[in-house]
Amino acid sequence: MTDAATPAREAGAASARAARARRDAFVTLDRGTATCAAAVVGRVDRRWRLLAATAVPAPAVPASAALVEILLDRVRTADPALATDLGLDRPGTIPPTIEAVGSVMVHAVVLAATEASRQRLEADATAAGWRTTGASAERLDPLETMRLATRPDVAALIVGTGDPPAADERDLVGELVALAAGVAERRPGMPVILVGAAAAHASEFPLGTEVVAVPRPHGDAAVDLRALLAARRAGPADARQALVTATATLAEVLDLRIELLEVGMSGALRARAEPGRDPGAPARIAAVEAPSAVLGLVDDDAALDRVEAWATLGLDRARLRDRLAELRLAPWADLGGDGALLRAAALRAALERLVESSAELDGPPPDLVVLAGGAWSSIPAPAALLVLADAIRRPGVVQVALDTARLLAPLGTIEDGAERARLVGDLIADALVPLGTLAIARGVRAGRQAGHLRLTVGEAPVDLQLAGGRLALVDLPPGQTGAAELGFRAPVDLGVRGKRFAVRATGGLAGLVVDLRDVPLRLPERADERRDMLGSWEAALWPERDR
Amino acid sequence: MSGPPLVTSRALLVGAPRVRVQLRPGDRIVASAGASVVAGDLLAERVRDPRLVETGGGSATSHPGAWIPAEPGRRGTAPAGELLFQHRGRRRIATGPHPDLVAAPAAGRVVAIHPGVELVLQLDGTGIPGTELLGDPGHGRLALLPGDGDGRIPLEVAHAGTIVVFPGRADAETLTRARAMGIAGAVVPALAERDRRDVVASEARQRAGLHRLAPFPVLILDGYVRRSLAGPVRDIFAILAGSEVGLVGGPPMLVTALSAGDLPLPDPDRVRVRGGPEVGREGRFVGLAGPRRLPGGIVVETARVHLDDGREAVVAVGDLERFT
Repeated sequence: MTDAATPAREAGAASARAARARRDAFVTLDRGTATCAAAVVGRVDRRWRLLAATAVPAPAVPASAALVEILLDRVRTADPALATDLGLDRPGTIPPTIEAVGSVMVHAVVLAATEASRQRLEADATAAGWRTTGASAERLDPLETMRLATRPDVAALIVGTGDPPAADERDLVGELVALAAGVAERRPGMPVILVGAAAAHASEFPLGTEVVAVPRPHGDAAVDLRALLAARRAGPADARQALVTATATLAEVLDLRIELLEVGMSGALRARAEPGRDPGAPARIAAVEAPSAVLGLVDDDAALDRVEAWATLGLDRARLRDRLAELRLAPWADLGGDGALLRAAALRAALERLVESSAELDGPPPDLVVLAGGAWSSIPAPAALLVLADAIRRPGVVQVALDTARLLAPLGTIEDGAERARLVGDLIADALVPLGTLAIARGVRAGRQAGHLRLTVGEAPVDLQLAGGRLALVDLPPGQTGAAELGFRAPVDLGVRGKRFAVRATGGLAGLVVDLRDVPLRLPERADERRDMLGSWEAALWPERDR
Repeated sequence: MSGPPLVTSRALLVGAPRVRVQLRPGDRIVASAGASVVAGDLLAERVRDPRLVETGGGSATSHPGAWIPAEPGRRGTAPAGELLFQHRGRRRIATGPHPDLVAAPAAGRVVAIHPGVELVLQLDGTGIPGTELLGDPGHGRLALLPGDGDGRIPLEVAHAGTIVVFPGRADAETLTRARAMGIAGAVVPALAERDRRDVVASEARQRAGLHRLAPFPVLILDGYVRRSLAGPVRDIFAILAGSEVGLVGGPPMLVTALSAGDLPLPDPDRVRVRGGPEVGREGRFVGLAGPRRLPGGIVVETARVHLDDGREAVVAVGDLERFT
């Protein structure tokens, strides 16, 4: 770390002045939809370290000064000498701040000439983080489309055709554009994005309409429609875009294949990054946003079914719907008791949906799964690993870590790549709380002795019999690593197929978890039996759930 | 920042609120931009069962959203309606019968008109925000029902024409019965999702009839899970009882002609518990209590609250709210 290292993005001129005067501490803010996470980072022994962190309801901190002052006060109380060294000893002086801002849920109406082009456009818009309502000229009800497109919550209108238009599109483009111009007339100020041959019709829109023309002749691959739509959706310092950047940086710094899973109140993100092929080469990154994978959103019965299938709290369907609606109204409230169980169920449902929506990112298991965003912090850390294991049934062995202080998004807003990598490198140990190692095996028959596990940490091996259909837990604290030998009576799929496996297990708050349940998970049809089964697994990794 | 730190604040009063009255394609707008209105003034005629009619180009040029009068044509008279859009010289017009009226919910001024979308009003007086309005805006005299119990008991025909406030429980059956008794609207602290659907479905069934129907707005102040009226809101309603108020939906609020200065605001350190074991209780914020572990294993920031029943409780800051 060099002395010149300072956060590249700072809040306000006052903070900038403070940055020039003192470069030994800074503050990160991750302003989510539900909660605002703040952290104080300081240089200790020539290394950046996390000194304090907390999260509070986002609407409670329209200005962050009070929240940051509380954290600084804790640093002063815990270690007055360190606070003095870092220049944090005087109340009222806020260090420079790096801030990421969570996006709100944004809605776009997609109008296309044909059903096929509507589906393509909606897929691009959805992956870019837009919630969409679509209509095509083939199946257009102009009255209904006009009503949907002029709702106050619609933030953009996307109109698209092929370029050049296909034979079945040519006759429909004119009427489609006329309808879209009618929408623009009624909603002055709403941007209109014209894709493909529709881009040639920009002049047909009312004066003053913000028209973005994206011609894409012959589906020009150089025009990344998804990136363009993502940029239109994201505001400055957008937390989801920043998380994508931070994931790539993590892959470079750790030289590991990383998968980041973020679930929030306005959408979800899945990003996969792997180190560049050559030393020093930038990481390769792919990311998909899933606005439908919102925590607790039950806009139809199918969405409620998904949450109900994972619920371990004894609520009838109507009451569950009400609790989820309350969760959407005040996601920062009612975190204790069965509020945590409710969130765990909603999180599993959202995660399932995220994985379904991002099938293009499926592949071999990464080396490390990072859980990011406030939703993961609304349940205890070991339970987060169980939620991951429940919702993503992917055979293989992965390490799992939690961005508990929510540092990754603010760090991802730093524009200078080298600076960002230095900060991430220094802060990894503090920022990512290790949850442990998760091994999911496919092909193990339930209810039978399936094999054995020997975990060797130092000189003391731990032996465990493995039973099909169950979770095997071995205590392996954070910071410890061990060599695990897994032997099965019949071949199983653990990323690769075989009977004997040697894996390196890294410790964490949940330890080593060998998951021998069905892949995919089969749960009883009856709600009470299903609840009991899910509850028994929860009890294993979440002993405080009833206390 | 005044008031307890880290506690979510909720607006209790909004001065001179700007509200949207939702329109649908085909609604006929009667009011004009810039006009002053009083409660009950006609703003628009609501189209029922709108349909799309395609006509020829017509005699004059028009822009989307314009009202096209009935015009005689070769195949009979084309009905009057709102021009949706025009393509290749053919007009698509949204039309239908207009039996329902949209009236101003309170005194104010029409500041913008977006045909088929909304009409924007700048209202005089003060708004008390809620979370959702079911139904069209309406107005009436405010009547505060007694007690926290079952809302069905105190309803009586003397409340016809009033907007009644249910301090405690209300359900779809109670609200439907209130409508049948000629009550002009309702304010409820919370309403379950199932009851909301039932109220909306009942409204739709009523609208399916041929006769003109007065609106029956239901303003929901909080959420979905049963809770009682917040103390500061109850104090304001006690002052407003007997006076004319309006209910509007965009944003959802109750509006009164009184100015914010005429209505009481709670002490800055007064808080209400909206979740957790002390839900519904109110008290005085004493101070932050630092991170604590909640049942279930989550560690959150907490605060000490001196509750009105004399106890001092440690409550998660996320479970507290204050009114400003």
